[in-house]
Amino acid sequence: MITLNLNVNGKDHRLEIEDHMRLLDVIRGPLGLTGTKEGCGEGECGACTVILDGNAVDSCLVLAAQCEGKKIVTIEGLETADGLDPVQQAFLDNGAVQCGYCIPGMVLSAKALLDKNVAPDDNEIKEAISGNLCRCTGYDKMVKAIKTASEVMQERGEQK
Amino acid sequence: MSTLKSVGQRIQRKDARAKLTGTALYPQDIEMENCVYGATVRSEIPHGYFTLDLTEAEKAPGVIRIFTAADVTGHNVHGVLFKDHEVLCARKVRRVGDPIAFVVAETQAQADDACALVKVSYEALPAVFDPKEAMKEGAPQVHDGKDNLIYHYKCRRGDVTKGFADSAVVIEREYVSPFVDHVFLQPESGLAYMEEDKVIVVASTQYPHFDQIEVAEAIGWELEQVVILNPVVGGAFGGREDISMQIHLALATIALGRPVKTTMAREESFYAHSKRHPVFMRLKVGAAEDGKLLALEAELHGDTGAYASWAINVMRKAGVHITGPYEIENVFVDSYSVYTNNPYAGAMRGFGATQVPVAYEQHMDILAEALGMTPYEIRMKNLFRKGSVTANGQVLTESVPLETCLEILNQAMNGGSEAAGLDAASSGTKAVPGSDSAAVQERSVTEHA
Ligand code: FES
Ligand code: FES
Repeated sequence: MITLNLNVNGKDHRLEIEDHMRLLDVIRGPLGLTGTKEGCGEGECGACTVILDGNAVDSCLVLAAQCEGKKIVTIEGLETADGLDPVQQAFLDNGAVQCGYCIPGMVLSAKALLDKNVAPDDNEIKEAISGNLCRCTGYDKMVKAIKTASEVMQERGEQK
Repeated sequence: MSTLKSVGQRIQRKDARAKLTGTALYPQDIEMENCVYGATVRSEIPHGYFTLDLTEAEKAPGVIRIFTAADVTGHNVHGVLFKDHEVLCARKVRRVGDPIAFVVAETQAQADDACALVKVSYEALPAVFDPKEAMKEGAPQVHDGKDNLIYHYKCRRGDVTKGFADSAVVIEREYVSPFVDHVFLQPESGLAYMEEDKVIVVASTQYPHFDQIEVAEAIGWELEQVVILNPVVGGAFGGREDISMQIHLALATIALGRPVKTTMAREESFYAHSKRHPVFMRLKVGAAEDGKLLALEAELHGDTGAYASWAINVMRKAGVHITGPYEIENVFVDSYSVYTNNPYAGAMRGFGATQVPVAYEQHMDILAEALGMTPYEIRMKNLFRKGSVTANGQVLTESVPLETCLEILNQAMNGGSEAAGLDAASSGTKAVPGSDSAAVQERSVTEHA
């Protein structure tokens, strides 16, 4: 057993975990945040994507012990008192959600991109979600949704 | 016409918000108190008899009980068309991945580890992996006492001998479509528990009502005592039409009186569920000088692997669709579903209609080339239109907008690039430069009114 300090969705946690646990196991297990999905367990599908210190990562490929002191954002951390994150809202409005299993990972990959580059072009969007497989939608509406979110975020930025 | 509330409106998916905020619960996200975990031992050979030695596995840490065929309290069978699957194989396996035992332990990891300690001794039998081989006299019998050939669809229309004799060109080719997996993104997971005298099974499924019957028959209970709950389904595409672990879970929770859960890793998911039927297609088509199709002869062998699942419906559909959307006077089709020792095949998007275009559309291009026509011309010559009669005798009286569709594509591609054509294929009329999409739509509406 080891002790792990993590900041998840803005909240500090001190956890006793088993040495071999993946970040994914800690998130879904002791933290109970089941919005993060496991689709393959080997870095192929992106369903387990979370934001780790600003970068989208496959949480099935990260050993929890490597995350001491790090900041993590999961899908449960996006909605605020003001409502859904622009990426979530745009996915909703663009009909980009089908079975939903890829969605948390897809949204977080998009969010990590837009936080760094608020006005990405199509290729940058596609590259950012290239590690997230979706078997249902065909990606088209997702790309549209991410563009919509980008526009909304730019407008908000100008207003500030 | 009054405005419709839902049709033609942009409405939000009911469950989209829950899926976007991470609150939608798939079976793997549901935990229950006092829960135990199951894992399935699967066959490693495609065909053979086996015996089990559970001694080591039963002693492994955390193991509570190991279920085998002897523990199935009702009928040890299930299957959507034929009851040809065993809940847990009793003495023979017919494919790699057949379920042999269900190990229940205090944690999922303990159950997984104990699976490796179950000793399976095999007496391998000759196996068959090709449906044409499997139809031959003396081929290994996948199901003891039963023919490997389980279905033969025939379509006979007109006189193909005459049709070929009248043809300016006759082309014959063979095509093969492969196994395909659905790879729905959420691997199979489920749990079961007792509620008074009822057993509740929670699993992502395409057929809760069908599962209820199959679970009840296998455990030997009344239908009313079995409840199937279908929470959020993480994709399916036909791959969740057959039973996966529902019966195993029901048996275990009834015997143990504790909730039982199991979740498959991606690799096991590949072994567990059905595949798209591979189809071996021999196609012979004759056409007149002007491109008019005069005769078609086809022989289709569908490999359904070790179990039938929807093999009959799939190969019937393949047999019907092999003519493509084209009018042909003289047709002779044989379509077969055959058992082999391959992974089993079942429902997958298109259900037999998806495999055959691989053959007939390539064939149309080859015919066009032989006749010095364009792929567009030969298709326009033969398309189904309103009033056409299909090879199996259906008169198409309703919407048949194929001609409009091809015209739009042709406009988009003419003088343009292949990319323009692809764009048109996905965006429709919007992609046609200068086209008036309203006019095109109106035309297709009047045409089909
Ligand atoms: S579960 Fe991590 S990439 Fe698929
Ligand atoms: S919505 Fe089903 S996998 Fe993306």
